[in-house]
Amino acid sequence: MAQEVGVNQPPAVEELYCTSCGRRVTYERGVVKFPCPNCGEYLIVRCRICRKQANEYVCPNCGFVGP
Amino acid sequence: MPDARDEFMSIPVEDKDLLVPRQKYLSAGIHVGTKVRTKDMEKFIYKVRPDGLCMIDIRKTDERIRVAAKFLARMNPEKILVVSARIYGFKPVRKFAEYVGAKAITGRILPGLLTNPQSPSYTEPEVVLLSDPRVDKQIHDESAKVGIPVIALVDADNTLENIDLAIPANNKGRRSLAFIFWLLAREVLRVRGDLPPDGELPEGYEAFATRIMGIM
Repeated sequence: MAQEVGVNQPPAVEELYCTSCGRRVTYERGVVKFPCPNCGEYLIVRCRICRKQANEYVCPNCGFVGP
Repeated sequence: MPDARDEFMSIPVEDKDLLVPRQKYLSAGIHVGTKVRTKDMEKFIYKVRPDGLCMIDIRKTDERIRVAAKFLARMNPEKILVVSARIYGFKPVRKFAEYVGAKAITGRILPGLLTNPQSPSYTEPEVVLLSDPRVDKQIHDESAKVGIPVIALVDADNTLENIDLAIPANNKGRRSLAFIFWLLAREVLRVRGDLPPDGELPEGYEAFATRIMGIM
């Protein structure tokens, strides 16, 4: 059975979570997202704070550690 | 207990594992860092010379050039912005942009390039490549504000603040900058398929180097 979508419901937004700290950053500013530089399959998301503090990110697909 | 750095020194770097022979890296001075070193860069430094100069691990430089080339090859070339405010970086950056098809900006950056849509030079790149994040601070700050991925050549005295992919290398030397951009251009073209896997650019890395009047 198809799910009914109400007129007043907002469109579905894909939630974004920081790859380094795991925080939800969907509506934050200064967030950067890019495909994994090594494998290009996983979308790396970095929040403003993790970028500023140069926190490491790890690609769950290939294990690449950046920056 | 043996130090991890001593252990690294005993491991020979094979030429077949690198993009170019090790001697070529060393003659271009890629590995020569600075006397100042930051905590962020410790993982890329394998040795400190008795005079205090840090030596950058060329295996990590090599690995990062491969990764950066794969990353840039996936992007639309016109959406790659290469920036250098350092004089020795002007020619390498222009040559790199010419081969790859990217947009190059050398010299002073007009503030608002990435943040002010009403600016005449406003542009929206997908990725920014910096020759030195400290010298190219304006574009570095703007890309952090807007949320554009940043690839940067980092030396021992740089921090990794607001950098998404670091390429550890000597970013101050004339020949070093030329060599890094030459190698990166070659790898991008190889990954893209514009050059065969063992193909070479029509010019050597000397053609990427800035000419000094009276010397060359």
